[in-house]
Amino acid sequence: MDILNEISENMQKGKAKIVKELVQQAIDDGMDAKVILEQGLLAGMNIVGEKFKNNQVFVPEVLIAARAMNMGASLLKPLLAESGVEASGRVCIGTVKGDLHDIGKNLVKMMMEGKGLEVIDLGTDVDAETYVKTAIEQNCQVICCSALLTTTMPVMAQVVKEAEKAGIRDKVKIMVGGAPVSEAFCQQIGADRYTPDAASAADVAVAFCRGTM
Amino acid sequence: MCETGLKAIKEEKRIMTNREKFIKTLKCEPVGGQVPTFELVFFLTMEKFGKVHPSQRIYEQWDQMSYKEKSLHMNEMAQLYIDTAEAYGHSAIFVHPKPGGIDNIQWLLELIREKSGDEYYIMMHGDPTWSIPDGEGMMDFSIRMYEDPEGLNEESKIRLERSLDVARKLDEKGHLLDGFGLCSDYCFNVNPFFSPESFDELIVPYLKEVISEYRKMGYYTIKHTDGNIMPIVAQMAACKPDAIHSLDPQGGVSIPEVRKIIGNEIALAGNVNCALLQTGTEEECRADVLRSLREGMANGRGYIFCTSNCAYTGLALERYEMMMEIWRQYGNYDIPLQP
Repeated sequence: MDILNEISENMQKGKAKIVKELVQQAIDDGMDAKVILEQGLLAGMNIVGEKFKNNQVFVPEVLIAARAMNMGASLLKPLLAESGVEASGRVCIGTVKGDLHDIGKNLVKMMMEGKGLEVIDLGTDVDAETYVKTAIEQNCQVICCSALLTTTMPVMAQVVKEAEKAGIRDKVKIMVGGAPVSEAFCQQIGADRYTPDAASAADVAVAFCRGTM
Repeated sequence: MCETGLKAIKEEKRIMTNREKFIKTLKCEPVGGQVPTFELVFFLTMEKFGKVHPSQRIYEQWDQMSYKEKSLHMNEMAQLYIDTAEAYGHSAIFVHPKPGGIDNIQWLLELIREKSGDEYYIMMHGDPTWSIPDGEGMMDFSIRMYEDPEGLNEESKIRLERSLDVARKLDEKGHLLDGFGLCSDYCFNVNPFFSPESFDELIVPYLKEVISEYRKMGYYTIKHTDGNIMPIVAQMAACKPDAIHSLDPQGGVSIPEVRKIIGNEIALAGNVNCALLQTGTEEECRADVLRSLREGMANGRGYIFCTSNCAYTGLALERYEMMMEIWRQYGNYDIPLQP
């Protein structure tokens, strides 16, 4: 098995220490950092994401895989920065104003990072203005809004309106998700996409950032 | 007619208390008449009765209060639970004792029994099993699942013993409580947090034991979790709770599908889509409530009508009352519901 496969395999099993050692070994062998990232770590995380979508692995397995990926990626970051490699897109994410639930939001964030996106985490209880201000200042292609409560869902509509008001609606995609959110609600408020789970959210965000959706 | 026969007829004709009806339903025995109903929490007490729900109260100066003042608070909370049950025809009261501690719990139970006798089934929280950790603790918990399962299981044993200790003490003080709600959430809308294998290792042994030990003490159990329970519902059922609660339509859970997996000897509770109550049209809500009643009552026994979570803060009171009006009209085993 070549070292990239080994990185991917161990990462899928969440073996963080081994992944870190293998990534270091690959760097020492002179392998390109971008290749290690894309064909080792991100390739492994893609497999985890697919398995998650198919109920073959569950959240804890995804989390420990993500931890292993982050440990490997921490070695690559300075090398990638040196060679001018950028993330494949930038997203800001948060749980909407009035809502302190962060489980779903954190899962989506992790899945998106596993797809090579740069994710700015705004935390919980985020108002519409903060989403839009961050998107403008950080040049985000996507805004992701999460809500667990039916009573806080209307804040998502405010985010759409705020983006329109700021004149960035044609430059930024707005994604919505969370237990009570539905496709119908997404359409009703004029958001761009509802996704039912973290893995699909990551796929859609990548497609938005690449301009393929 | 002999005296025994007469007694039997009188007994049959006697109207069951709500408690009796609820317990018979938990045993999956037919009850006839109105299908029992309750809520894990009816948060809308301010709107309905002008009073803060007990679970939202913080008594920082409780120990400083005179007995008289404590008593006024306790009596008011006990009455509020009873008023809620009476207003909506609930058969059960789920108490959320504030402040906690065995003596205060016992006091509250005594007051409810004093004011309403054995009319209502009374339950409270008592689940020692792990629930989905919050976003902050989720990573650490997941790492422990793989690197320290023994440590987690040791903690589970301590949590189990704590729950059983509360149950024992309440039992010794007169057994005024009828049962426990086991409310650790295991599932997201899409799937469970725990894989079936992890669930078997980290949850099942403790869920099984707590239910069994509670039962030995004479307590009933209702296992609650939100979300898509389908991948683990057989494992939950194997732990033998008296009822499974929530049956969350947002997680794609349907009563007929659950029945196919667990059979007819565990009661089911819930299934009215509480998010839809907030966001749907009246027609959609009405259709959903009727569907829940139809599917829940299909066996003629073993169903408790309620929302798929609780009457939560922010839910429009009118919507809850509309739901209960439909229950009053159609939630009756003696009146066939149109398909």
